[in-house]
Amino acid sequence: MTVVDAELALLLDVGSAWAKASAIGVVRGRWRVVAHAAQPTAWGAAELRRSLVERLAEAADARLVDRLDELVAGAPRIECHTARQPRRLVVVAVSRELSGGAARRAAEAAGWSVVDVVSLDDGRSLADRLSLLQQAEVDAWLLAGGFDGTRSPRALEAAALAAAARRPDGGPVVWAGSADLAQEVEALFEPGSVTSVPNPRPDGRRETPDALREHLQDLIAAIGGGEPETNLAAMSFPRAVAALASRSRLRVLAVDVGARAAVRALAEPDGTLATRVHAQGGLAGLAAMPGAAARVARLAGDAGDDAAIADVLQTLAARPATLPETAEELHATQVAARLQAAALIEEGGVGPLDLLVGAGRTIAAAPHPAQALRILLDGVRPLGVTQVAIDPAATLGPLGSLPDAEIGEGIGLLAEDLLVPLGTTVVTRGGDAGRPAMRVTVHRSGWPASSPIELRVGQLQVVPLPPGQTAELSIEMGEGVSIGAPRRSPRITATATGGAVGLVLDARGVPVQLPRRADDRRAVLAAWRDALGRETSPSTEHLA
Amino acid sequence: MSAVHRVRLPVGASVLVEAGHRVEPAEVLATRRPPGPGVTIPVAVPLRCSAADARAALEVTPGSVLEADGLLARHGSREVRIADAGLFLAYDADDGTALVAPLGPTEPILGHVRGEVASVGADAVEIRVDGALVTGIAGSGAAVHGELRVAVHEPGEELRAGAIDVGATGRILVGGSRASAETLTRARAMGVAGIVLAGALDKELRDFEAAQRRRRQIGGARGAFSILLLEGYGKTSFDPALFAWFRAHDGRMASLFGDGARLYVYDAEPMPGRRALPRPGDRVIAHRRPSAGATGILLRELPGTYAAPSGVAARSGLVRFDDARTAIVPLANLEAAEPRSEG
Repeated sequence: MTVVDAELALLLDVGSAWAKASAIGVVRGRWRVVAHAAQPTAWGAAELRRSLVERLAEAADARLVDRLDELVAGAPRIECHTARQPRRLVVVAVSRELSGGAARRAAEAAGWSVVDVVSLDDGRSLADRLSLLQQAEVDAWLLAGGFDGTRSPRALEAAALAAAARRPDGGPVVWAGSADLAQEVEALFEPGSVTSVPNPRPDGRRETPDALREHLQDLIAAIGGGEPETNLAAMSFPRAVAALASRSRLRVLAVDVGARAAVRALAEPDGTLATRVHAQGGLAGLAAMPGAAARVARLAGDAGDDAAIADVLQTLAARPATLPETAEELHATQVAARLQAAALIEEGGVGPLDLLVGAGRTIAAAPHPAQALRILLDGVRPLGVTQVAIDPAATLGPLGSLPDAEIGEGIGLLAEDLLVPLGTTVVTRGGDAGRPAMRVTVHRSGWPASSPIELRVGQLQVVPLPPGQTAELSIEMGEGVSIGAPRRSPRITATATGGAVGLVLDARGVPVQLPRRADDRRAVLAAWRDALGRETSPSTEHLA
Repeated sequence: MSAVHRVRLPVGASVLVEAGHRVEPAEVLATRRPPGPGVTIPVAVPLRCSAADARAALEVTPGSVLEADGLLARHGSREVRIADAGLFLAYDADDGTALVAPLGPTEPILGHVRGEVASVGADAVEIRVDGALVTGIAGSGAAVHGELRVAVHEPGEELRAGAIDVGATGRILVGGSRASAETLTRARAMGVAGIVLAGALDKELRDFEAAQRRRRQIGGARGAFSILLLEGYGKTSFDPALFAWFRAHDGRMASLFGDGARLYVYDAEPMPGRRALPRPGDRVIAHRRPSAGATGILLRELPGTYAAPSGVAARSGLVRFDDARTAIVPLANLEAAEPRSEG
């Protein structure tokens, strides 16, 4: 029986739809996650505590059972939460595609909710633009336009449009256009209201959004309404990922697709961190996206027709705390999560990864580990050899809210329970359909030698590799096929670690190529799902 | 019971009411003169100076509102004035012209609700409404007001196009579990002010909105029309208690804000409330397929967690639905229906 003494603490992640709580305690001298509970946030803190006490009672020393409520009530709490109200911003730009698009992407990646992009080429009349801006309820204004080294009168006109429509003291203004116009733009507004940042479109060919995104992230924190910045999940989750990368000396990508928002944290082994927070990048965001239902239907294959899926997507937005009861609705929800994960990656790509971590209930609480792996594998397409894991107890967010010096320590203390490994993926790109993609020899310690596994382009295979085991891989690529790393010899060696799914050899390409004909597509998707979803055992290795 | 309705004021609005005023739905709370299409006004040429010098001669900054014959720029003894009131937008230093948006005729800003002005701020007027506020999960359309009329006989009945006649003109219809795009189009054509639905297919709402957009573009759609969705997407029944509440208030005046998913019913009794986390014995309404919209009694909560057919394991309860079916439903997908809310 597990022993729980008075050394107990709570990790709480209060999301917009679901609240997650983990009790951590000292068990035989080591800190472990001893109980976990999750529930709709609307059920309230008292119910969450009651559920956690119930879970604890299942594992606790009988002598402590009567004191559990008191222990939980008095336990220190390490908490993060989703921002109560996403910050809203309007973009005023010269061009919808160039300056407006770059500004919008930077704002969304910084966690802002962009209420509209008003541009001089948006097809609206001047009067309509003015009226729209005069009625905008926003926390900040983002103005963009003109290339550096030019003095575009159109950019000045866009800034003047905002100046004409904005109330005095109507929120901070960010000028992210031609550097040469900065002073003139600042003169259009009351003193102190405008901040100029480097132009995200300095010329017609380049997009350099980092400085703007960082400024907008700082601005969100500055107008955050007094909430401690580190307690916001959008801040704390990436901090924990950075600490994880630093401790493990791995290049780590973590994606958290939540009910409303999505976060992507890419951390280097030295702890360097690049974060994207999309205020509308969660499951609810797809409902408003044109064509989303058709895309989900196409990628799901068997989740219903476009109309039924459109209703599912709207339900995810309208009632985000509810759960899919039918297989079709679950499948549609998981494909929606995959699309939102892919949207996080589309912006710039991520390069080769050592570890890919999935968070958010749709991924981390998927009924079957293979479903979680498939969302991550199909959404992120991690080229090369990558360990994949999930954060099922939602512990990374709360740990990231600790002071800087303590995050790494917390991760170290809970190392065994933080992540659940799903396995290792080997993803290739290139090659011709049906031609050999890779030939992989898997050396598993204690297992009989097996013959090499050959995959053709378009195929997917799962090789059993249970948690805690490792295997040495010897990978030979087919003609025109790559796993991202520069090839110095015809054979690449790598180490794979096991997990709930195993070793996944994936020659479906980046991005995944699907047949055009609906029937063929459904058959291929079903085969891939079956290959990933079957229980793997040493004697059964599945190819699709 | 009462609720507070917030009317946002655009920049430049002139408020006509004060806190304590009683207002009616059609009463003007404020006025504004919306800017019209921009006009270019030469500045440098009449001032007889360079475009750069003319910039320094401007007497206004972007956003300045000028009255008729207002001074735009002055250079020595020469002046440039604008004939009609307008909003100065920008100065083009290349050709020495100013871009000004003349202010259009005065437009009223209505509250669309009946009540007492609670507060007047720079950006909003708040009105305390005597009645019940019904909030939906979604909606579309501008503010409308009219008499409530329940247009279906049963909570699960679909609103058919044939049920909409001239008697519905100017009214806010309540019903049913679904309305097709054809029904919505007919309602709009018959001059119905708005429709309150328990359920609707997203595709049909989109089809209707696309058709309306096209009609507006060709000038064929006039008057406001608003839709409020209360329970869910897909064919979804009304909660019988809520349906009975609407029937009890048939004929009452109401204001519907589709875009804000809010309906105010005047002088109404408290509406049946909802509560997350139902307890055994509660009347419940289910929100996900296959039971979406069904109501029943939560018989008991199952111990531990239970996996739904999707495989999702969650705290679940055994529900006996009103159609005599029993099913195990995740508690997260159930709301308890309470007899009264405090509004």
